[in-house]
Amino acid sequence: MRLRYVARKVGWSLLTLLFVLSANFFLFRILPGDPLALLARSQRLAPSALAKQRAIFGLDQPLPSQFVTYLHETLTGNLGVSIISGQDVASLVASRIWPTVLLVGIGTGLAAVIGVLVGIRGGWNRGSGFDRGTLYGSLVLYSAPEAWLGMLLLIAFAGTLGWFPAGGYSSGTTTGLGQVADVANHLVLPVVTLALGYVGQFVIVMRSSMLEVKEAPYVEVARAKGLSERAVRRGHVVPNAFLPSFTLIVLSVGFILGGAIVIETVFSWPGLGLLTYQAIQDQDYPVLEAVFLLSSAAVVLANLVADLAYGYLDPRIDEV
Amino acid sequence: MRSGGRLRASAGALLVVAFVAASVPGAAHAADSASPAASAAPKVLRIGTTTAIDNPNIWAVNSTTEWEALNLQYDMVMKFGDTDLNAAPSLATGCDHSADFRTWTCTLRSGVKWSDGQPLTSKDVAFSYKFAIDKGFSLFSGYFPDGTTFSTPNDTTLVWKSPTPTNGPMVPAWAYVVPEHVWSKYLGASSKQITSADVVPVVSSGPYQMTSATPGQNWTFTRNPNYWGTAPAYDKIVYQLYTNQDALVQALKNGQVDIADALDGSVLPALQKLSNVTVNKVVSDWWVNLAFNFGGRGPGLPALQNLDVRKAIEMAIDKQQIVDKVYPGAAAPGQTIVRPLSKFWHLTVPTDKAIPYDPAAANALLDTAGYRLGPDGVRVDPKSGQPLVIRMPVSDDTAGSDGVGQLVAGFLKKIGITVKVQPVTAGKMYDLQQSGDFDAYIWYWSGDPDPNYQLSVFTSDQCGEGLSDGCWKNAQYDTLFAQQQTTFDQTARKAIVDQMQQLVYDQVPVVVIAYPNAIEAYRNDHVTIADRVPQPDGYILPQYSVDALLSAHPPAGDVAVDSSPGLSVWAWLLAGLVILGLVVFFVIRGRRSEDDLDRA
Repeated sequence: MRLRYVARKVGWSLLTLLFVLSANFFLFRILPGDPLALLARSQRLAPSALAKQRAIFGLDQPLPSQFVTYLHETLTGNLGVSIISGQDVASLVASRIWPTVLLVGIGTGLAAVIGVLVGIRGGWNRGSGFDRGTLYGSLVLYSAPEAWLGMLLLIAFAGTLGWFPAGGYSSGTTTGLGQVADVANHLVLPVVTLALGYVGQFVIVMRSSMLEVKEAPYVEVARAKGLSERAVRRGHVVPNAFLPSFTLIVLSVGFILGGAIVIETVFSWPGLGLLTYQAIQDQDYPVLEAVFLLSSAAVVLANLVADLAYGYLDPRIDEV
Repeated sequence: MRSGGRLRASAGALLVVAFVAASVPGAAHAADSASPAASAAPKVLRIGTTTAIDNPNIWAVNSTTEWEALNLQYDMVMKFGDTDLNAAPSLATGCDHSADFRTWTCTLRSGVKWSDGQPLTSKDVAFSYKFAIDKGFSLFSGYFPDGTTFSTPNDTTLVWKSPTPTNGPMVPAWAYVVPEHVWSKYLGASSKQITSADVVPVVSSGPYQMTSATPGQNWTFTRNPNYWGTAPAYDKIVYQLYTNQDALVQALKNGQVDIADALDGSVLPALQKLSNVTVNKVVSDWWVNLAFNFGGRGPGLPALQNLDVRKAIEMAIDKQQIVDKVYPGAAAPGQTIVRPLSKFWHLTVPTDKAIPYDPAAANALLDTAGYRLGPDGVRVDPKSGQPLVIRMPVSDDTAGSDGVGQLVAGFLKKIGITVKVQPVTAGKMYDLQQSGDFDAYIWYWSGDPDPNYQLSVFTSDQCGEGLSDGCWKNAQYDTLFAQQQTTFDQTARKAIVDQMQQLVYDQVPVVVIAYPNAIEAYRNDHVTIADRVPQPDGYILPQYSVDALLSAHPPAGDVAVDSSPGLSVWAWLLAGLVILGLVVFFVIRGRRSEDDLDRA
């Protein structure tokens, strides 16, 4: 792989991050009002107290001045303090990473593995009952709103049957192996919802890719060599058909740190998605800036990895 | 067996394992309850809430659950009493005042200790008050007139001196006592450093102390061994966060929580079907407010400055219908500006002084005042010639505001007034209020148990950058407000406060649309709760005082062992082994296939 190709990709990634860093600041300040104004009525703050709070958070400064402070602080690793809760933003965000990685990582992983396997089988046996069933099923799941799907599972398996907890990450009173089982119990419904919601796209992409590749001339050549159908599928079709799914998987990994806002909200899962949702509601600028920066960085990094991996997997690409 | 068959068999085995395990939810815990050790297990009360304890630090308190956490852990010098939220003994057994009400002497209980064993003395009280004032924590410092000083002649006496007469300790001052030996190291710190300080495990004087906090998940409070009052029945209280109402209801239904906090009216029908759930509709501590713009910050519709128009609007609004449709079973029609929860201070307007719901009379009033109907059915202002078209933003942080707005628009259409309902965010609403860019709006008001704050927002000096809704100004009201601030006899002050409420009601600068209830619910087969604050229709959870929650105990014969639905540790281990087996199987099969491929 050429060094120039790598340098170009890394350079673009850094530029994108710089753009995101700036956009994050202005994006949230377009919203009407400010976070402290929201507290005025609920916290019975007098105008003088409100003014004092604004000064503490620098919200009384002109926007350019706030921007310079923000850039300086962020680039020196200080993400600030939450306007609403007064907590250190870096530790607040850090505490939400693991739950999100656990939920979105397992959910996406399951969806990818099941989706790709089902897509391979469906694509290979086009028109079979399995193919029709899984294709229609995938379309239904792909188009089903996650909130609705989650709520159905919640009512059925948490409320009516009482098999699994209705939400949260743990019950807070277990330790050791009991805690692991406790977290696993809390994880079941959100992971199943997420996997069901995502599996459709993997099935559809893998299936269509299989259909395309299995008609390729080199597959005919493989058959002409006398290879068994299974050998043709595993040795020649699947590896080539997998490339679009690989892209999808890598990009999905990038979105893991963005959290799953809807699912985390339905199941009260304390991840980055829920933190983002709450920060948007509260207009908590420092938290919003931090989570958007983190999720953007993850996506940019995943794209970079995908680009570099493509350059490695397909040498023709670094010629572009 | 064909490979597909093997796959199905393996998947089937996994399902069987999952099914068997899932069919014994909470197996590990069930085993506990059957064992002799069950009686020795800690008694845990689980509370589900929809608002988080984002920060356990007292100086960063914000959400309703955070206030509950404070009341579980800290004491006030005088607390909100169970009967009517007026001052009652707490850390102090009482406070006496000088003849001029400038000096108060409070006598504290002796022998009180913090949870870490350190003695709690009057020095802690003086430190706490001074810390709140000096560091500008206005939520707590607002109860102390400028220039107030505190002295501690001995460990059980606090002397509070104010340059102006005050009723401070007996409001009571809603400021908690914190341990000086914990917070004195922050004397030189900024407020940002103070609010971001890690405080868990909390050193407390109340019945519980927070011993663990998992942000966004749950918060555990353990019984304070040194609590000076009667020991609570539960060893631990766990607050668990649910970010939506439906999940919280399901958690209550499946026994994951014993008490559900901060519910809204939409879940009432589902809860009322459950025989093992008791619903507690709390007498309202907030109200839905329709305010008019009097033009002090920006021009509103001039016709709304006419009392006849405002009265006609009040008469045309069917508050009962609003309550029935928007807050079914969970609100009462509104009337005066001190919320019903402040039982001592709230005024119910006598029938002969009430403005009745009477659209016909409202139409007649507008006719008499010269607001004739235009050809399009909209009345016209005789002075300006402007049609009576009201821009009415409704704020999204007010439960039911959009529904209320739509109903109000329908009611006013019948008297020839057009209302343009504009749903806005709370942030936008704040901007509109401060710029005066509205004719009327629907927002909410809450307040303290003492009416002073709520009454203050209607004074003339709250125009400008203040809290006034629409810059209504009334000299008589301002005079009465000043009077009630310096009247320390409760009965005499109550008479003035009543007069003020009646004045606002008569002058209609706002229409108090509804008093929605807060809703709590609990599993009556898991917990018995006798008291409320205030009695008999107040809160179970410690919004104002922990007393009602301290009356909670497991029902007779209940072992109250902590339980949580789901698979046991063994079931998960078994499932893990099955999955591992499947992975190994597929890897081996894959390798064989590759060998086949190579041979081909």
